[in-house]
Amino acid sequence: MSKIITHETDLAIIGGGPAGLGAAIRAKASGVKNVLLIERSEELGGVLPQCIHNGFGLHYFKESLTGPAYTYKMLQDAQRAGVDFMTKTMAIRVDGENRITALNRDRLLEIRPKATILCMGCRERSFGALRIPGTRPAGIYTAGTAQRLINIEGKMPGKRVVILGSGDIGMIMARRLTLEGAKVLAVVEIMPFIGGLIRNEVQCLRDFHIPVYVSHTIKEVRGTDRIEKIVVTRVDQNRQYIPGTEIEFDADTLLISAGLIPENELSRMAGISMNAITGGPVVDNLWQTSTPGFFAGGNVVHVHDLADYASESAGMAAANAARYIDGDRSQDLDIEVAAGANIRYVVPNRISKLQETVSFYMRVTWPLADATVRIGDIYEKHFQFARPSEQIRIDLPTKELAHVHGQLIVSCEGERAV
Amino acid sequence: MKLKSFDVIVIGAGVAGAAVAREMTKYALSVAVLEKNAEVACEVTKGTHAIVHAGLSVNPLTPLKNRGELMGAAMMGQLCADLDVKYQRIGKLLVAFDETQVAQLKALMQSAKRLGLMDIELIEDRSRLLEMEPNLNPDVIAALHTPNTGIVSPWGLVYGLLENAQDNGASVFVECAVTGIRWDAEAQRFLLDTRQGPFSAKYVVNAAGPFSDKVAAMVGDTSFQISLTRQEKVIFDKNYQGAVRHVVRMLNNMGAPGDFICPTVYGDLMAGVEVKPTDDFDACHTTQPGIEEHVLRSSARLIPTIPASAVIRPFSGVLNQCAGTGEFVIRSAPQLPRFLNFVLGGSGLTACYAMAQYLSLEVFPTVADAADLKTRGDFNPCRKDMPHVHDLEPEELAELIARDPRYGHVICRCETVTEGEIVEAIRRGARSVDGVKFRTRAGMGRCQGGFCGPRVIAILSRELQIPPEAVTKKGPGSYMVTALRDDHSVKGEAEHV
Ligand SMILES: Cc1cc2nc3c(=O)[nH]c(=O)nc-3n(C[C@H](O)[C@H](O)[C@H](O)COP(=O)(O)OP(=O)(O)OC[C@H]3O[C@@H](n4cnc5c(N)ncnc54)[C@H](O)[C@@H]3O)c2cc1C
Ligand SMILES: Cc1cc2nc3c(=O)[nH]c(=O)nc-3n(C[C@H](O)[C@H](O)[C@H](O)COP(=O)(O)OP(=O)(O)OC[C@H]3O[C@@H](n4cnc5c(N)ncnc54)[C@H](O)[C@@H]3O)c2cc1C
Repeated sequence: MSKIITHETDLAIIGGGPAGLGAAIRAKASGVKNVLLIERSEELGGVLPQCIHNGFGLHYFKESLTGPAYTYKMLQDAQRAGVDFMTKTMAIRVDGENRITALNRDRLLEIRPKATILCMGCRERSFGALRIPGTRPAGIYTAGTAQRLINIEGKMPGKRVVILGSGDIGMIMARRLTLEGAKVLAVVEIMPFIGGLIRNEVQCLRDFHIPVYVSHTIKEVRGTDRIEKIVVTRVDQNRQYIPGTEIEFDADTLLISAGLIPENELSRMAGISMNAITGGPVVDNLWQTSTPGFFAGGNVVHVHDLADYASESAGMAAANAARYIDGDRSQDLDIEVAAGANIRYVVPNRISKLQETVSFYMRVTWPLADATVRIGDIYEKHFQFARPSEQIRIDLPTKELAHVHGQLIVSCEGERAV
Repeated sequence: MKLKSFDVIVIGAGVAGAAVAREMTKYALSVAVLEKNAEVACEVTKGTHAIVHAGLSVNPLTPLKNRGELMGAAMMGQLCADLDVKYQRIGKLLVAFDETQVAQLKALMQSAKRLGLMDIELIEDRSRLLEMEPNLNPDVIAALHTPNTGIVSPWGLVYGLLENAQDNGASVFVECAVTGIRWDAEAQRFLLDTRQGPFSAKYVVNAAGPFSDKVAAMVGDTSFQISLTRQEKVIFDKNYQGAVRHVVRMLNNMGAPGDFICPTVYGDLMAGVEVKPTDDFDACHTTQPGIEEHVLRSSARLIPTIPASAVIRPFSGVLNQCAGTGEFVIRSAPQLPRFLNFVLGGSGLTACYAMAQYLSLEVFPTVADAADLKTRGDFNPCRKDMPHVHDLEPEELAELIARDPRYGHVICRCETVTEGEIVEAIRRGARSVDGVKFRTRAGMGRCQGGFCGPRVIAILSRELQIPPEAVTKKGPGSYMVTALRDDHSVKGEAEHV
């Protein structure tokens, strides 16, 4: 007899972070009968249980919460709504027919939902992917791994630390490490500006007098067993080393905070088309991917600044998945959305159905002052500043779209601020 | 410390030492392997290109190496089948971009045929080349095809050889550097000083790789010197699995095989190689010009469709060769016939098994007591690898989980490695994060241990019953974490992973 168990459900959600929980709650509210959420970790919440700082929930719950508190509140809502959870269960295969193979301590499962929402989040760019010259001794971690070590495992990654990249997690960890008695020798950023939010730059770096080196990168890591030295150099506009500008740090630890990469190995298995810039699936305004019955939300689509937005976008995916499960597959539009001048990417990539509003999420390529974002020639919005680190969101009433045909180009004009 | 005595002591647990140890267990002799590191296979063998060369080595000054390649390639398939080690015979395309190079390929083919490599073909039909290797640079006009070229897991081979040697009675000692050797003429035995006290043996095999000249010098043998080269390479993401089917290699400016790109047995791709002489074995670093201006340019010249952004890891290996021709040194020390050097070099991975048999069947009998040449009747050539969940069929996996639920608990998400596998790897000898990584692949995938790192530390700590602070990346000095300030300490996760 086969030991593989088959499990049927209306909606499967892969990933139980803020996106997956947001999707599950909204799916129930939209009337989906059976909602199964699969999470590979022992706890729900995605990366939030290790984010013990506050600032979560300002949009979603209208109050400032820590990561664990935000998770707890969502979890209560999801439990009350009657979501089925399967934790310590990892989806290892998905096919285009909506069959999910998942694995846990009890069994190997084949899950057969009518629709699936992908909420797998993202992972951090690794040291290896940055191709930094030098040796590869112990003491190299991503900032998120260091966060887990300190906040969950109660261990320090090391005592004398250089952080490469000024993403939000890196800045938050600079503060956290300092509070725990480590010495943060430098935050090194290759771009001429900080990669994360201004709020974090002020509260995590400046307030703690942590030295920041913009337009710098690491030229060499030294050490055989454990890191012994890190050599930092200034770079020119083309990111080439400037000789003679080297600074040596006697560090024992290197943290990498150089961006997040959406986790889409499963999406690829399902044959879903990907967007080369976001690293996530191509989605329409219903958060529907190119493979029928597959929706996506949260960081798996593109990296959000705030967990709140991940919960929200996945919620929209869930509302549309509910319609899909009910058999409503209607689409009445086919507008392609493309990134134009100064816009790195825009989501959604297509508008396929008129709903009340369409939310556009985008990032600019460079810090711009006195910036104007234009959506085709139907809408424009002015910003004092637009920065790559701050996602721009624009809600467009769909009546504006009624006369658009073919393509809609989103662009931004402004003065380069750096 | 008490003296430990064996008939045969092999110094070094790289692929050379592992292969010899297994061959020697075919005799009715007690065999021990002494390795200085905490993990086996962690020096030269860890950094190899992992290619089983078909036998294009045609230098008349290196007869042993030529023979080792030719025979080694022929024997590797069966060995890996016996030892349950990953190996694929995928063939090599040594490509030419112009007529001069075509002429060089023809010359290579002639010499290789003269030395006995018959399975070799010059392909000048470009459409056929593109059919064989669809992403090949269309500027390639011809290629020398050797179907017998293969790829293998180098550390997998060491684990397989050593575990099989242990099944046949051998002992393996790690963190056991040999620091001095004396020949006791009266007792007719060698006395070895090690980090784990004294050992004695009737026969010693020096398979210390890059340090083999230093080990030989311990008994006064200065007949060979080791020279080292550092070789820089990159690994590409598995998303490009299938984009390269053969070992694809170009000629260097001396008309010999040079830069390459090839699949690994684990489904990712490897490309190299920047070669620089070095005198520091620990110089395992990469450089910006080496990777950016050399390795990535060559790989793009061979297979233009794989972008630099697909690199998940640059790394380097240090190759030892005997200074001069690079010929293998497989012979007794002068005046000490029972001290046998077993020093390989380039193509050492390919040749290790063939050369271990050369040592055990052709050299050893000329120096051993007749009584020591009795073979064991019960030698078991087969060994079973530990389970790898990633490679299992669904039914097999379901079966395994039913037997041991830990095989359902995924720890490394990029390579789908479970707690069951990590525990089994530790049972088979892993003592460090790298030991777990090479045995199971946990941490080798695209996130490079970002997710599984803390969990692997916790499992090592639990299974080895040591605090997390004592867990290392690869042995003493390479600690992974330190303690929180006392007043900040929170409960660790070790108990409930
Ligand atoms: C280290 C780190 C720190 C951060 N700190 C902050 C912060 O301070 N403030 C902030 O607003 N944002 C922060 N972010 C960004 C924040 O994570 C996101 O905004 C939000 O968590 C995204 O939610 P998500 O649900 O899309 O992804 P995640 O939170 O990453 O959740 C994805 C979930 O899917 C699960 N999963 C993935 N694949 C599978 C599978 N195959 N099978 C089963 N389960 C699977 C994962 O285990 C995980 O629980 C941080 C991100 C990281 C990586
Ligand atoms: C970059 C690179 C690419 C290569 N590519 C290929 C290829 O594609 N195909 C191929 O066939 N070959 C290749 N080779 C060659 C092949 O990998 C080597 O010949 C082979 O791995 C050498 O194995 P070894 O056991 O002699 O050395 P090692 O693996 O270095 O083993 C020697 C062992 O001895 C131990 N030791 C040293 N001193 C002492 C002591 N005093 N006491 C105790 N232990 C000691 C060391 O710690 C080490 O573990 C390559 C090598 C390199 C570096």
